[in-house]
Amino acid sequence: MNDFKMTRRNFGLLAAGVAAASAMPFAARAAAGETAIAATFPGNWEDGYRTVLSPLVKEAGYGLTIAPSMAQDQLAKVMASPGNPAYDTLLMSPGQMAVAIDNDIIQKIDPSRLKNWGMLDPAFQGEYGPTVTIEVNGIAYNPDLVPRPKGYRDLFENPTYSGLVSWTGFGSNTAVMAYTEMAKIFGSGPNDMDAVFKLFKDHPEHLKGVVDSTNHQMTLFQQGEIAVFMCSTGNVARLKSMGLKAEYVAPETGAPAAPVNIHLTKGAKNLDAAYAYMDAAISKAAQDKLKLPPTEMFPTNKDVALTPEIEAYVTREQLGNMVYPDWVAINKNRADWIRQFDALVAG
Amino acid sequence: MKAGGFPYVIPMLLLSVAFFATPLAVLVGYSFTGSEGPTLANYGHFFGDAFNFRVLVNTARLGLETVLATTLLGVPIALLYWHSGKTARQVIIFLTLIPMLTSNVVRTFAWIVILGRQGPISEALLGLGLIGRPMSLMFTELGLVMAMCQIDLPLIILPLVAILSRTPVQYTEAAQVSGAGPWRIFVTVLIPLMLPGLLAGWILVFASTSSSFVTQAVIGGARNVYVPQLIYREVGTLFDWPLASAIAVVLLLSTGCLLVAMTMISRHRRLVGHG
Repeated sequence: MNDFKMTRRNFGLLAAGVAAASAMPFAARAAAGETAIAATFPGNWEDGYRTVLSPLVKEAGYGLTIAPSMAQDQLAKVMASPGNPAYDTLLMSPGQMAVAIDNDIIQKIDPSRLKNWGMLDPAFQGEYGPTVTIEVNGIAYNPDLVPRPKGYRDLFENPTYSGLVSWTGFGSNTAVMAYTEMAKIFGSGPNDMDAVFKLFKDHPEHLKGVVDSTNHQMTLFQQGEIAVFMCSTGNVARLKSMGLKAEYVAPETGAPAAPVNIHLTKGAKNLDAAYAYMDAAISKAAQDKLKLPPTEMFPTNKDVALTPEIEAYVTREQLGNMVYPDWVAINKNRADWIRQFDALVAG
Repeated sequence: MKAGGFPYVIPMLLLSVAFFATPLAVLVGYSFTGSEGPTLANYGHFFGDAFNFRVLVNTARLGLETVLATTLLGVPIALLYWHSGKTARQVIIFLTLIPMLTSNVVRTFAWIVILGRQGPISEALLGLGLIGRPMSLMFTELGLVMAMCQIDLPLIILPLVAILSRTPVQYTEAAQVSGAGPWRIFVTVLIPLMLPGLLAGWILVFASTSSSFVTQAVIGGARNVYVPQLIYREVGTLFDWPLASAIAVVLLLSTGCLLVAMTMISRHRRLVGHG
C-alpha cells in the first residue's frame, strides 16, 4: 500500500476547496433573497410542496426551502431552541398544534396578509394558521394478497390477514386515530387503551408487524412484506402513483380524519416569505395541482372542485361526518400509551 | 512526544474541549435536572423499569454479535489481502471501500429486499428445500446482525489491512520452518500480529453498531428496541430530554466499560504472546 503523504500545498488546496464548497449554499441563499424555511411531512408532502409551491412563492418574490420532518420531530426541534426556531413555519395536525400552543412555540397569524384567506371556509380559518387539507384515514390493502377488509375488527378476527397487517406505535397520528377507534370497538370508549393492549396480547401475530413509521410501512408494502396498514388517502395515492396494487377502505365504523394546518413559529426570521408560502398553499393555483395524483390532497379552497378520485374518499358534505378524535384527551395519555405499547411490542 | 511539541496539539485540544467535552458536560448536567432542581430521578426512572434495562442489554449484545460476525468475516479477507499480489490487493481494497461510498440509508433499504420473503435468502432456502414456505428475516435480530455486519465490515478490514500491509509474509514461513502447524501459526503468530488492528476494528464496529439508528429501526422494526431508538423516542416523541440525557449517559458508560474490557483483554500478556 502506498504511504499517504500530505504536503503543505496539498493541505492548502484542500482547505481552500472545503472553504469554497461550504460558502456555496450561503451564496445561493443570498441570491434568492428572503427565504422561508417550511417544515413539511416527508414523502408525498415534501415532493408536492417543493414542486407546486416553490414556483408560486418565487413569483411572489421570495424563496422557499422545504424541510421534511414528521410533526413530532418538528415540535422537538423547535422546542429545543425556543425563540430561535429551526423553521419559519410548521405543518401539523391539531394534536401537535395543542402541544405547540402549550409550549408557546407558535404564534397567531395576521389573516390580512393572506390574499386567499377568504377562499377558505371559516372552519379552515384557524387563528394559528390556515388548514391546507383534511387527511382522511383508513386502511390500505393489497387486493392481490388479501380481500377488502371491512374494518378493524375484521383484521383481528379473519385469519386471512394473520401475519400480513402492519401497525406503528402511538407516536404516529395515523396510528393513534386507528387505536382510539379500536378502543371504541373493543373497549368502553376512545380512551380505553387497555382494551387495545389486550387485543394485541391476544393476537401476538399482530405484534410481529409493528414498525417505526408509516414511511417504513410504505417501503414494506412496496416489497410485498405486508399487505395491510393504517394509512391516509394520500399514502394510497402515493403507492398507486408508483404502479403498486394498493386500495383504500374506510372502516365500517367511520373514517378518522385530521385537518393539517400551517403554523407560524414564534421568532420566525422570514415573516414575509412565510406569509407568501402560507398564501400559496391555500391558493387555487396550488390546490388545483395538489388535488391530483400523486398527492390527491383534499382542497380547502372553496373555488377548487373535487376530483372524482377524492370524492370517492370523501365529499365536502361528508366532511362533517368524519371521526375527529379528541386530541386533548389523546395528548394527556399519549406518553403513557407510547411507553406501554412499546414495552408490549418488545415483549 | 517531545515537550516542545505541545503547542501543535493545542488546536486539536481546543476543538475537543469546545465540540466534545463541553457538549458532553452539558448532556451529563442535563441528565441530573428535574422540574424541582437537581435530581437522580432520571436515572432512577431508567433503572426502575425492567424494559429499559433489557433494552440496554440487547444493545450491548447486538454490538458484541456484530463484532463477532465482522471478525469472522473480516480476518479471512484481511489475510487474503496479505497473501495477495498487487492487483488482487487493489481489488480487495476497492471492494471493501465501494459500499462505504453509498449512504447507510440506501444500504439499509437494500437489505429489506435481501432479507424479505421474496429476497434471495428466502428463495435460496426454498430452492434447496430447507424451508417449506417463504420466510422473512426482517424484524429479527439475525437479520439485523447480517445487515450491520455488511455495513460495518470495512471498519474491521481496513485497520487489519493497515497492520498486515506493514508485516512481512515471511513471519509465517519462519514459523512453518520451525515446525508450527497452521492453527499454531494462527494463534501464536497471526493473532498477536493482528491484535492492534483487531482492537481498533472491534472498537469501531461496536461503537458504530450500538449507536446506529436507521438500520436498527428499519431492519429491527419495533420489536427489537435498542438504546438509540429509546433516546429518539424520549427526545422526539415524548420530549423528555433529561431522561433522554440520562439514557445517553448510561449508554456511554456501558459501552465505554465494554470497550475498556476489550482493550484489557487484547493487552493480556498471554494473548499478545509474551506469556
